[in-house]
Amino acid sequence: MAATVRKPGLSPIMSARLKSFALVLPLALVLLVFVVVPLAVVLAVSVFRYDNFEVIPAFTFENYQSVLSSHLTLSLYLTMLKLAAMTWICTLLIGYSVAAFLVFHVRSRLVAIGLFLLCTVPFWTSNVIRMISWLPLLGKQGVINQALMASGLIQEPLQFLLFSDFSVVVSYVHLFTIFMIVPIFNAMSRIDRSLFEAAHDAGAARWQTVLWVVLPLTKSGIVLGSIFVVTLVMGDFYVVKVMSGGTDASVVSAMYDDISTLLFPHAAASAAVLMIILTAMVAAILRLVDVRKELVSGR
Amino acid sequence: MDIETLVPMNASTATGRGAVELAGIVKRYADGTLAVDGINLRIASGTYCCLLGPSGCGKTTMLRMIAGHETPSDGEILIDGGNVVGLSPRERGTAMMFQSYALFPHLNVRDNVAFTLRVRGIGKAERYREADRVIEQVQLTELAQRLPAQLSGGQQQRVALARAIITRPRVLLLDEPLSALDEFLRLQMRSELRELQRQLGITFIHVTHTQLEAVAVADQVVVMDRGHVVQSDPARTVYAEPRSAYVARFMGGQNVLAGKLESVADGLATLRDAAGRGFALRVGGAVRATGQRLQFSVRRDHVRIAKLAGATVPPLNAVVGLVRAVEYQGTFVKVTLTLDAAAAEDDPFVAYVEEGDYFAGPIGIADRAVAWWEMDEMHALAAE
Amino acid sequence: MAQSKLSADRRGWPFYALGAVFVAYVVFLYGPMVCIYLLSFQGPQGGLSFPMRGVSLHWFDQLIEQGDTGDLMGALSRSIPLALIVMALTVLISLAGGLAFRSRFPGSGTLFYLVIASLVAPGYVLSIGIGLMFQMFGFETNWYTSALGAQLSWTLPFGLLIMFAIFGRFSRSYEEASRDLGANQLQTMWLVVVPILLPGMIAVALFGFTLSYDEFARTLQTTGSTNTVPIEIWSMTQNVTSPSIYALGTLTTGLSFVVIGVSLGAIALIQRRRLGSVAGQE
Repeated sequence: MAATVRKPGLSPIMSARLKSFALVLPLALVLLVFVVVPLAVVLAVSVFRYDNFEVIPAFTFENYQSVLSSHLTLSLYLTMLKLAAMTWICTLLIGYSVAAFLVFHVRSRLVAIGLFLLCTVPFWTSNVIRMISWLPLLGKQGVINQALMASGLIQEPLQFLLFSDFSVVVSYVHLFTIFMIVPIFNAMSRIDRSLFEAAHDAGAARWQTVLWVVLPLTKSGIVLGSIFVVTLVMGDFYVVKVMSGGTDASVVSAMYDDISTLLFPHAAASAAVLMIILTAMVAAILRLVDVRKELVSGR
Repeated sequence: MDIETLVPMNASTATGRGAVELAGIVKRYADGTLAVDGINLRIASGTYCCLLGPSGCGKTTMLRMIAGHETPSDGEILIDGGNVVGLSPRERGTAMMFQSYALFPHLNVRDNVAFTLRVRGIGKAERYREADRVIEQVQLTELAQRLPAQLSGGQQQRVALARAIITRPRVLLLDEPLSALDEFLRLQMRSELRELQRQLGITFIHVTHTQLEAVAVADQVVVMDRGHVVQSDPARTVYAEPRSAYVARFMGGQNVLAGKLESVADGLATLRDAAGRGFALRVGGAVRATGQRLQFSVRRDHVRIAKLAGATVPPLNAVVGLVRAVEYQGTFVKVTLTLDAAAAEDDPFVAYVEEGDYFAGPIGIADRAVAWWEMDEMHALAAE
Repeated sequence: MAQSKLSADRRGWPFYALGAVFVAYVVFLYGPMVCIYLLSFQGPQGGLSFPMRGVSLHWFDQLIEQGDTGDLMGALSRSIPLALIVMALTVLISLAGGLAFRSRFPGSGTLFYLVIASLVAPGYVLSIGIGLMFQMFGFETNWYTSALGAQLSWTLPFGLLIMFAIFGRFSRSYEEASRDLGANQLQTMWLVVVPILLPGMIAVALFGFTLSYDEFARTLQTTGSTNTVPIEIWSMTQNVTSPSIYALGTLTTGLSFVVIGVSLGAIALIQRRRLGSVAGQE
């Protein structure tokens, strides 16, 4: 009884805020300790000298100089941008088609959910395993080459299938298309079906409805999916490392090699550059849509 | 400070029967909008009261403040004489029935109804016995094991009612209780609500935007507009003697006309409007100056109407116009006139003609017609 | 499905075109995985590719008994408890965060973008950062400290985004009704909010468990001297050239499927019971 009596001096808004703060505290702490501080440490190490696991608080720009002046850096970024662009196009086309099929063409909601889960299940299994599962398919003696040779379409095994940009992009598409499907699926699910009838009544052809009704209403989904796919590719290191057969490196796999040889400051500087570039890319994409409104009050 | 001085003793003792008084209630939201703007209202105990108004008038906010789900920015809410602002719903002795019922989807009917006893720590056997008693009262005994999703809208509403009354509240608050039901059920539940209130003898406060619903069930109808109470009276008074043009228009069934006062003597006023029509009506004791604009209402079902051709137009309390629409309504016919020299913002004039009278001398669209009425059918409206 | 029969004649070419893309995508998604499950049962003479030379459990035996990997059982004995801890924390923290984010509070915008940043930040960069942070402050990296935190930075954004979607459909009137009926905040949480949100929380738990169990990049520099399962797999990809690695893939994926099956089954069961039709009861 006593606990609910009006407490003088604490307005309802204030007590609601205190409650919000208390609820959000664990989340904020985890993100502070395991995201904010580590990234700050990376920045710190990138501008300090570093010897034998000791950070020597002497400011230096050497690490950045070495990263930025290297031709290797430029070519790494160009490679990654190229891979990201190819992956983005493939995941967008596949993701949009799959989402459109599930939302607009499967008539039973239960079946649609079932098929959607079918697309999602592999996401809950190991990425590394899913990646290496392409090895027996794409190899010189792999299933695809064997099948093509048996059918007489080719005489020699196709070399470009494995350990190439092709196999890298195939793996990316395999791993990351789900990140495109889910937000687009969500955006499409929110479209009121009567809009199509209205567009049809207004005399719009099918392509006009898609271009002027569906596309604008699914923009937010496309933007979100694009952010996920692009950042995942840019931050990858193991797919490139394995699926290119060790010939290519990614920005992050170069960091991995640095770390293996204990070149922490160099890796940190490279990480800082990557974070800045990614942040700029995401910020540019975010200008297109209010992601918070989309996600928090998703209706 | 001693807790006892903060909590009025009578707030927790259910001796009262739910007299509600609102004193200077203001609700201002964080963004600055005023949902409720200084409301004073008395609801006697054991009254069936309807808060009536268009959406956005503040009626639901009012109800939620009485229930304790929102806190007034200013003012006092007294239940049986004690200020309840800051108290929990349980301490207030109120119970609310939500618009969409808010039945817990994971609990069956019995557990939904027994919920409030469960959180008070009452043992299973006792709370089920009590729940079953109330479930029987709302005639749902056979469905006690069902989940809410397995019930029809009307059944869900009964569960919500049972859940709300199991604690024997002093005041039951109903937020648009009939809006989720179809027309047939709505009429049935309407009378059941009224009957339940009579049985329990407690105060019901019922929010609605439907005029007919309000006048059908309520002892007291409170008409609201933009955060204000514009009239609070017995149902028949609100309908027959609206205080203002707003109430007359909102309640319906009235023609609102106006004119300039030409003379007032012995409570009898004569008016003339811009088109030169003359009216005479009785006005109350309020002193009125000639030249002042006065609005009055005339019940649509108390108007007589005839084709202009061959009829004599009375010099007072009559209007002439062009018939614009004729709608058959079953027991009566609704005839709509556009009055001569009407301004664009004037309401059309409507007469409800009894079916037999209408077909004795039918009037068609585009006919010119005259409508007239007795002086006793006129009611002067307060300036807004 | 009377409905689909009714309008079956109106299926146009887009249905077939998109349907073909969908089927192709599903084949593309599962085909390679099925291949390695098959190849893991390769005969003792078989190699990394088809054809199958007999069917045997030889490579599973190699994997578990002969120790083709460094320490598979040890890795499992860390990965599974870690995934369970991450799962529990993800559910609790996401639920609390979801409740808080229903209203705006000072800093909510910043925190939201921090969540997104945590989701899209390159995993390995965070891994390096957490590793360095532990070194700088003189702590040892370990699976139950640094790796736990690193994995939470990956699972929490998913958990929170799912919670946002769930709360988007959760009416506040349930809590108000509970309060109206005399429940205190704890009772409202425990008797009303948690049971109603249970299916969504199981979904969050599923993400928490599987994303932790399969997490690789963020764990790599944070797990210390002892490995988790994905890191065992990673080191096998670097130096094992026998179907043992497929056997490991089959085993670990099998465990994932069990978790997925149990979670989805539980959700389906709850939903069916809750939305059970009137007809079903009569």
